[in-house]
Amino acid sequence: MPPITPTRADLIDPASLASLGRIEIIARWVVDGFLSGLHRSPKKGFSVEFAEFRPYQPGDDLRFIDWRVVARSDKWMVKQFEEETNTRAAIVLDVSRSMDWTGAPERLTKLRYSEQVVAAIALLLIRQRDAVGLVRYDDKLRTVLPARARTIQWRRIVRALEESGAGPDSRMAEGVQQAAKLIRRPGILVVVSDLLVDQDQMEQSIRVARAAGHQVTVLHIMDPSEIELDSRGEAIFYDPEGTLEVTATVSDVRQAYAKTVVHALEEWRLRLAALGAGYEVIRTDMPFGVPLRKAFATRQRLP
Amino acid sequence: MSFLAPIWLVLTVAVAVPLFLHLLRRRIDLRREFPAARYLLRAEIENVRRLKLRNLLLMMLRALTLLFLALAAARPIGALLGSGHVPSAIAVVVDNTMSTGVIVNGNPLLSRLKGMARSVVQGAGSNDETWLVTADGAVTGGARNVVVDAIDRVEALGGRADLMGAITRAAGLVLAADLPAATVVVLTDGQSSQWPGDLSLGAVRVVAWAPTDTAPYNRAVTMAEPRPPRWSPKGSVTVGASGADSVTYRVTLGGRTAARGLLRGSDEQVVRLEPSERGWLAGTVDLAPDELRGDDERHFAVWIGDAPSVSVLPSSGLFIREAVDALVQSALVTRGPGVEVAPADEATRVPALLFAPADPVRLGAANRNLERLGVPWRLGDVRRDETIARGNDVDGTPVKIRFPLRSEPGATAAPDTLATASGEPWIVAGPDYVLVGSAMTADATTLPVRAQFLPWLSNILSQRLTREGSGLVHAHPGAPIRLPAGVTSFESDSQVVPVGATATAPTRAGVFFLRRGEERVGALVVNPEREESRLDRLTSADLKARLRGRDVVVTADQAELTRRAFDASTQRPLQALLLLLALVCLVAEMIVVRQAEPRGVRRAA
Repeated sequence: MPPITPTRADLIDPASLASLGRIEIIARWVVDGFLSGLHRSPKKGFSVEFAEFRPYQPGDDLRFIDWRVVARSDKWMVKQFEEETNTRAAIVLDVSRSMDWTGAPERLTKLRYSEQVVAAIALLLIRQRDAVGLVRYDDKLRTVLPARARTIQWRRIVRALEESGAGPDSRMAEGVQQAAKLIRRPGILVVVSDLLVDQDQMEQSIRVARAAGHQVTVLHIMDPSEIELDSRGEAIFYDPEGTLEVTATVSDVRQAYAKTVVHALEEWRLRLAALGAGYEVIRTDMPFGVPLRKAFATRQRLP
Repeated sequence: MSFLAPIWLVLTVAVAVPLFLHLLRRRIDLRREFPAARYLLRAEIENVRRLKLRNLLLMMLRALTLLFLALAAARPIGALLGSGHVPSAIAVVVDNTMSTGVIVNGNPLLSRLKGMARSVVQGAGSNDETWLVTADGAVTGGARNVVVDAIDRVEALGGRADLMGAITRAAGLVLAADLPAATVVVLTDGQSSQWPGDLSLGAVRVVAWAPTDTAPYNRAVTMAEPRPPRWSPKGSVTVGASGADSVTYRVTLGGRTAARGLLRGSDEQVVRLEPSERGWLAGTVDLAPDELRGDDERHFAVWIGDAPSVSVLPSSGLFIREAVDALVQSALVTRGPGVEVAPADEATRVPALLFAPADPVRLGAANRNLERLGVPWRLGDVRRDETIARGNDVDGTPVKIRFPLRSEPGATAAPDTLATASGEPWIVAGPDYVLVGSAMTADATTLPVRAQFLPWLSNILSQRLTREGSGLVHAHPGAPIRLPAGVTSFESDSQVVPVGATATAPTRAGVFFLRRGEERVGALVVNPEREESRLDRLTSADLKARLRGRDVVVTADQAELTRRAFDASTQRPLQALLLLLALVCLVAEMIVVRQAEPRGVRRAA
């Protein structure tokens, strides 16, 4: 039987897809594919204003079943709402040197992958008439775009993504704080980073954003080679953002490293969950639809 | 512990390689960018103790593997745990003399000896060297299967050979091999006549097997002698056998039964024959078969022809003429141009029976005539001292007037001297002459008037001076022989085998005609030694006392022989043990390494 080839852009291998065009083209393909996969009108969503009823389909959230209609008509009906147009969101993107790395040449760097994800999220939000802002940082704030809902805002964001970065440090706390300031009333913060930062400072900045009423979702971007060591032999492994150097034999530490990574990710998950922030680990070999889905699924689960 | 190949101990320096690599681990030049280095550091810190132990364990396992391999290459031997036996040089001496052909319990004893030899050789390992030495001194060495094949081909010899010489040779072989153990395994019937004295073998271990049961009773033909050696054409065969009871015998000549008879005890009988055949004939005297077939038959050969012709010069004297007449009348000689009988000063040719002239004045003429005839003897000055002759057939004959015989320079006197007088040659002989140092007159010597004169003269004329039938050689199986000049080949059972002037007698008994080209010129009669028929055996203690070695074991138990053939009491090779330890280390190293590698990574690698 021939292999099944996905036709939706949000399900295609990210490196293959990225090689097909510029970032805005790819982002449009991804978002279109993503939305078509939802089987919903782009004008409809689970928002605030009621729009109509429709029959219940498996997979629908049970919270939206109208129990009164069920009692009256003995039919399972789901409420649909008019989309919300006044949500304000800010995306915080880490563009430090550690992000500009890949463990294998056939994969995108974490930064390239993240930029594509950011462009897609921004486009999706703008299509929902949400206002979107962008903060890029490395050892300093590189870009600060206030949240806007106009279509031209997405072009600004795409242009900003093409600017330089790769500084030798990650000042994530500053980036998050700056993003929180961009949104005056409670909104959405999406942090895209490899989280190779100081945990306490990161935690403090998230806490501040949450205190301001923002919903925070952290997409932890990781290269597969960072999750499981797939190299061989002995080498000196050095951190591109610092002076840390570790001499190791891969075969010796492979298992211990994998355990350590699992433990670290679990630590991040627990810390952020304690703050009420969403947390998802995104591998750079995942199709772009995955981070999109996870980003919005997280948002729906949040209080 | 010692080493057979200590040069390989230099490989132990390879142990330093894992140690060096272990220490070198922190000097790595390869640098890799890795953003998640903090996780790597954390993994190392959290597992540093386990990693250090693991690395140390791997280093030790690898170093031990190399150490064990290096030690194994040096082929250590020691009194520790080990397998097999110390590398040994083993020479198995199989006594295949005629006596081991005796039938015991339905099988030849030699078959049992061969079976034991096979079991000993098959117990040898790849580090051992083995040889087979038989009683005739033949040596076969090399690979184990080669030696086993040689054992299968061993057959009983026709005689007693030289068992002690074979054992001495075997001891030299194992000592020359320069292996940690040198052992000679002797498989023998313990026949006492084979062990006339002690045998010193130095530092060689000796493990011997000999039966302890009584030897079977054996009867043998001890005599089968034709008399005279040349028949013209009458003759006789003297027959004798060992043993106290009566036994029937048969005499064959030329393949046909010539006579049968009964021998009582150890008596001898004379069988008179007058065959119609002429030339060289082979004959046998055989008995009814017993447990040892090799000595139930004894061979002889005889030349049969017409009586020799003789011409007597008138000056030979009355006694000579009368004696020859008597021989002619008895048909022992005939008148003719064959052998000339004459005084030395008047003889005209050879072959001739010569004697000194009656007149001393003719001394000079006689010596000149001897020189002309090619006789390498001269007559000395006359002696008139009465003396007694010593020699075959003429022993005790008074001699009054004699001419002491002097050999010419370059001549070999001793073999030709048939009789002496006062210690000086009196009767000498050559290929075609017999010379007597006195005249055949009664005042010179009483020989012509003695009773033994006629047999003596007949023997001289028909045996000594007749060229036909002179090439008879007796030998024992395998013994060196000296053949008459001109012999080119042996002939036996219609097969002709080329030989040189000096050769070794065949190892089986029989009659082998000597040939000069196409002509039979003699016969080689090969019979076993008479003492080989005595089967009485040494006891184990006596046999052990005769063998002088580092450690002598004499047993009649086959299992004990096989067990003790290899010196397992001292050091053993440790090579296999060390290789096993190296293998265990390698397996352990592989397990430790694989525990650190997830299955997917192993497959990808």
